[in-house]
Amino acid sequence: MLNLALALLSLAAAAPDTVPALPPAAAQPAVVVLRQPALPIVALRMSLLADDPPGYAGAGHLIQHLFLPRLEERMARVGGRVQAVRTSDAVVYTVVGPASELGYLAETLRSVLRAPAAGTGEMLAAAAALGQERGAEREIAPQYVRAALRAGLFPDDLPAAGTEAALARLNTAPLDGVWAAMYRPDRVSIVAVGDVEIAGVRRAFGELPAAGDAELPPLADTVRAFAADTPQATRGWFGRAWSAAEADPAALTVTARLLRNHLRRRMTRSAVDVEHWWTHHGQALALVVATPDSLVPVARRTVEGSLAALRETLDEPLVREAAGSVRREMLFFARTPERMADVLGAFADRGESADAAQRFYAAVAEVTEADVRVVLDLLLEAEPAVVYVAAQRLNPSD
Amino acid sequence: MIRIAGWMALAALLAAPAAAQDRVIVRAEPGTPVVAAEVLIAVGPADEAEGKEGITYLTARAVTAPIVPLLDSLTAQLTVQQHKDAVSFTVIAAPDNWQEATRTLLVALFRDPVDSVATVRQRTATVAELTAREASPADALARQVDAAVFGEEHPWGRPAVGTARSVGRIAVREVDAFLRSAFTADRALVAIVGPVDRGAAQALQAFMDPGPVRRTELGPFEPAEEPVRRQYDAITAWVAAVYPFGEDADEEALRMLARLAVDHVAFGPLRPQVYDSRAEVVRHAGGGELRLEMVVPPREAEDWAERLSAAVAQYADEALSEPMFAERLRRYRGERLLELESPEARARALARQALVGGRAGTRLTELDGLTAERLHQAARSLSDPVIVFLGPFVEEDEEGGGATAAPR
Repeated sequence: MLNLALALLSLAAAAPDTVPALPPAAAQPAVVVLRQPALPIVALRMSLLADDPPGYAGAGHLIQHLFLPRLEERMARVGGRVQAVRTSDAVVYTVVGPASELGYLAETLRSVLRAPAAGTGEMLAAAAALGQERGAEREIAPQYVRAALRAGLFPDDLPAAGTEAALARLNTAPLDGVWAAMYRPDRVSIVAVGDVEIAGVRRAFGELPAAGDAELPPLADTVRAFAADTPQATRGWFGRAWSAAEADPAALTVTARLLRNHLRRRMTRSAVDVEHWWTHHGQALALVVATPDSLVPVARRTVEGSLAALRETLDEPLVREAAGSVRREMLFFARTPERMADVLGAFADRGESADAAQRFYAAVAEVTEADVRVVLDLLLEAEPAVVYVAAQRLNPSD
Repeated sequence: MIRIAGWMALAALLAAPAAAQDRVIVRAEPGTPVVAAEVLIAVGPADEAEGKEGITYLTARAVTAPIVPLLDSLTAQLTVQQHKDAVSFTVIAAPDNWQEATRTLLVALFRDPVDSVATVRQRTATVAELTAREASPADALARQVDAAVFGEEHPWGRPAVGTARSVGRIAVREVDAFLRSAFTADRALVAIVGPVDRGAAQALQAFMDPGPVRRTELGPFEPAEEPVRRQYDAITAWVAAVYPFGEDADEEALRMLARLAVDHVAFGPLRPQVYDSRAEVVRHAGGGELRLEMVVPPREAEDWAERLSAAVAQYADEALSEPMFAERLRRYRGERLLELESPEARARALARQALVGGRAGTRLTELDGLTAERLHQAARSLSDPVIVFLGPFVEEDEEGGGATAAPR
């Protein structure tokens, strides 16, 4: 059973109100409902767990761009909004609107479970949007560092915006074949957060369209090496990421927060982000630092020794503080139905059970100093992916 | 059945029943992950001495700056916003520490003295922010609209946050004196939204005085009777049409009217020359304003001002047919509800209702009773708008050759 809100784990103030995932019928999606009756609205997040077909990197996101204008137009009629995101795990659509429009919202989402029919104009617009996103990963330092680290650790996790060669294929490929390679009803899951009940959500979605049978020839994707690019940077950028597939997720999250706090206290003139990456490809701890050009040598030393230095200073009160801060930030982030659906859905997209988010939230509170030390030992033994982007000098004589 | 459930749920938009004199409004929401507390203190430009414009906002920032590290350690977020009739403090915190976060704020507001170092820092930061803001055309339009609607001599006719110049001249001792004289418990109320224990929330009454919120009385407004035209160095023009309304106006119908009207002039395939447009209904004690604004090419500004007025007038001329109204209401309902999707938005709405209308314990919205006739009557109730132009209008006056403003 999934509790009504993560927040209530500590308070136990409300009765649970959901939703064992029913044993899936032939073409029914897995549904998780978190009832939040505060306001008569609902966020419906629908995800299709699928990689892009081999050789067609970017297909899922291209299809999203093809559908998006029509979805926006439909949602505007009920004063709602729609969001389409391609994550490493899934093709995700989220709609938010009045709970009284549940049927309409569900029908809107169901309408994307088929191959899009795109004219040349729509295809060009979608391809241009993907091209911009792809360019941003190569040209802008913060995105470049993350993309290069991800490519280093998870080579199979291709960019959501795909590759130039794949897009060229997609321009002429039969979209029904591309869609058939990605879509199966049993890969669809729904998270509903708001003033709705499980039965209503199930009824609204009903049975999903059957999978297609068109086929695609097997191909391979080729990703251009990141080292060939020169992203724009006005500061020096460091990226280090450690694969941590075996780490306990809650302990890894708390370790990321501890490392962030540790570095921010020591690098007051730098921007420091430490992130826990967690997808079906695996887990990693990623460190991204931007520092003024003059401080690059010092910052490099600090970053390189950061895990060992954290290990030296670690104690139980620091772990408790970090764990508390992670839990509160989860609540803060998830304070609207749309965001809560996103949190719950991210766990579902990794193939975890309906109560995975709740269990993770509880597990963070239980993380101890010893757990963090185990994680640090794992990271210290791992070979990190490393990226450095030098600040550009506009005037070479400077 | 789903639709029925939705309508029934709308009835749940009732806030917790509260006595008319309650200064603490509690909306217990068991499923909401965080607690939002909105503290309003009815102090603003009307309480500021001449030459001290912006002292309210500076005081609010200065008195809360020292507690930010503590709130950070609680992972609580504080936002300070200055309105014309009140200064607002929004705290968002986890259910396990919202009381500590809110009490920390209230102690800072009502019990702590001003920290001189924090005041100087906040003054410097505020001056820098206002300097940047004053260069923005949107800010310039807001200043011109306020002056046109309330009159330049009226306290609300000037920026609620003051100007970079006025704030820069305020001394620390003046902030301290203003804190003691104006940030008082008889002017305060708080609205709390989230998974809270009603008793714990009501305990905050100890920080408030009983009785109605004390406000500074204001003189009447003097809206400009002719269009106001202000020169602004830009390649686009800003146009505003502002409809003042009285205390008895149908606010929900006016909100819907504002959205419908702005839809008629918004960017789209038939109106590619419109860069931006927005609608807002501002409520204050004794009335409010329906504000429509748009950004257009300068040579078309006059034309768009007429189209703005016409967009409102058409709803006054004739009531929408029922099918058309139902279609429009369907959209408006969603937009209105999504405005309130965060707990802090609901806390702000409840606190404003209590401050402006003394309506603690009423609904967050009045959507259920909206009809085509109410919309029609709301449009009919509006008088002529105050029109403001801002942009590169070059009107040579006969004698000096300089740019002139239209008479006000």
